[in-house]
Amino acid sequence: MNSLLLTIDRISAVAGKVFAWLIVLLTAIVGYDVIMRKLGAPTHWAFDLSLMVYAVLFMMAGAYTLSRNGHVRADLLYRTLAPRTQATLDLLLYFAFFLPGIAALVYAGWEFAGKSLSIREASSVTGSGLPVYPVKMFIPVAGLLLLMQAFAEIARALICIRTGRWPERLHDVEEADVEQLKAIVQAAEVKGVTK
Amino acid sequence: MKLRLDTKTIGFGFLAVLVTLYILFLPPPSRFYNPHLGMVMLGLIIVAILLGFPIAFTLMGLGILFGFAALWRPGVPFTENPIFDSMVLRTYGVMTNDIIISVPLFIFMGYIVERSGIIDRLFKSLELAMARVPGALAVATIATCAVFAAATGIVGAVVTLMGLLVLQPMLKAGYDVRMAAGAIAAGGCLGILIPPSVMLILYGATAGVSVVQLYAGAFGPGVMLALMYIGYVMIRAKLNPKMAPPLPMEERNVPALQILRMLATSFLPLFLLIGAVLGSIVGGWATASEAAALGAIGAIVLALAYRRLPWERFKDSVYLTSRTTAMVCWLLVGSWVFSSTFAVLGGQRILEQWVLSLDMSPTGFLLLSQVLIFLLGWPLDWTVIIIIFVPIFLPMLPHFGIDPLFFGLLTALNLQTAFLSPPMAMAAYYLKGVAPPQVTLAEIFRGMVPFMLLQIGAMVLLVMFPAIGMWLPKFLYQ
Repeated sequence: MNSLLLTIDRISAVAGKVFAWLIVLLTAIVGYDVIMRKLGAPTHWAFDLSLMVYAVLFMMAGAYTLSRNGHVRADLLYRTLAPRTQATLDLLLYFAFFLPGIAALVYAGWEFAGKSLSIREASSVTGSGLPVYPVKMFIPVAGLLLLMQAFAEIARALICIRTGRWPERLHDVEEADVEQLKAIVQAAEVKGVTK
Repeated sequence: MKLRLDTKTIGFGFLAVLVTLYILFLPPPSRFYNPHLGMVMLGLIIVAILLGFPIAFTLMGLGILFGFAALWRPGVPFTENPIFDSMVLRTYGVMTNDIIISVPLFIFMGYIVERSGIIDRLFKSLELAMARVPGALAVATIATCAVFAAATGIVGAVVTLMGLLVLQPMLKAGYDVRMAAGAIAAGGCLGILIPPSVMLILYGATAGVSVVQLYAGAFGPGVMLALMYIGYVMIRAKLNPKMAPPLPMEERNVPALQILRMLATSFLPLFLLIGAVLGSIVGGWATASEAAALGAIGAIVLALAYRRLPWERFKDSVYLTSRTTAMVCWLLVGSWVFSSTFAVLGGQRILEQWVLSLDMSPTGFLLLSQVLIFLLGWPLDWTVIIIIFVPIFLPMLPHFGIDPLFFGLLTALNLQTAFLSPPMAMAAYYLKGVAPPQVTLAEIFRGMVPFMLLQIGAMVLLVMFPAIGMWLPKFLYQ
């Protein structure tokens, strides 16, 4: 069971990490555009394209972030609870809020993207004429990834209710991982910067 | 059974009292009409958030369920409910928002600067430069944090990094634990106030206030707060040198030339980069997202020039950027879905009528709203407050003649306190994570209290002298 959960985590992570590199593309597009504009040769596609890149970047990272427990939660009270109680609460709220919300997003996003595709809708913000339906397709896709990840989270909660312990997650780079940050500071000392 | 007064008991007790009062406040269900449904939704969201479920999805779920009920008409098939269109349009609205697009870019720039460890060079150079002032190490810590804050838009791992870098040296130099811990925690949280703050971008997008003006306005309060911290440390160190002993003679007598060289190589490049990024936004030369992209490119170049950006760290920055962006943007999606349902139900009107019926003066209203934000900041993350609770106050501002720009600056300053107030204060836990075992959490909290009082003092000053924040935007744009 746990290997299936970790597989789902990996799928979410691969999707999130592949599309995470769009930040480099986004930086490049916006940087290129501003430089070209100052040189007097503005591009007509950069504005539209940068918004699309940004949209896909964050939509596709939703499930990845969920798999790393990275969506903001107010855990003031939550963290004082026993794991079993935490899991029961999570389980209830996944069914009460998460599944209806994201299922609706998948359904509505599918219709939305379908309409856009059927008329081959192009951007009307600037004159670029870039097609917008590919970006709209990412709404249901991101939603489906989130549903799949939610399945893994619900299974985790069930395991926790049975065993009283949260199953292990995959290791990844963390915001405040002391070991990783220590390595950053120590790298400086080795190179003799700090004296 | 013995009653134990811990966070759990107090928290859940408080929650129970709140829910009971709330239910008593509402009319009986037979006299419900839509605005009351909106109030139920607002009450439910607070309870659900406090139960610890990821907030983005709580908002989305509640928005869908209540919206579905509110827009349900007999005879219309369930798949044709207008809530679906409304929801997807709100989602697409976040995806095509040309203000929020600068959030990932600023986050990326911040992570590059953070992960490449430029901060320790910065600290070393400032430490040398300030070796002679009282409380040198603590002053250099706060100054480093303030400069660093101008390069990042979130709090991130600055407290942890600075804790690793300076806590041990400060304790070794004989600093009082509370003084050392307070300076690191308070300085480390400046990132959310000093531009390019992500908090101000979100406020600007929510309140329809220009981010450029918010950035120009936040300079004053941000610099003022950092100077107040530094002044406090210097005064305490002067009055009681035992708290922050001066550095030994040989460390103070560094040749001026060496200091200058250190500043020129370690402080100046980052300072120029920050100046270029913020200057081009405030000066109207580039939009926030353009400046952010150039800033990220500049940060990468700088980190490469220092030979401090191995591939692993760059990869980490990319992945961390995607997760933090997803966290912020999905929260926005959730809150926009939620708030459109809240608007359909008309819950806002009840709140507005109630507040207006209190017949307050503008100062009274300012006080009420800021005290509420302050209290909400204890259990809740700042993102939630900016995205869900601040918008409730926004439509009331014109009644009282309060400039939304000023309200934003005050709120940003106010939410600073949330980072330092126990028991949520993440800064304390991050610092505890890297502190030697003899430094207790209680001592860290006690060390943060004076700095929190300074923050409240800064708020009072801003209310009394709005020009601290409003002068620069007025001067530049009017």
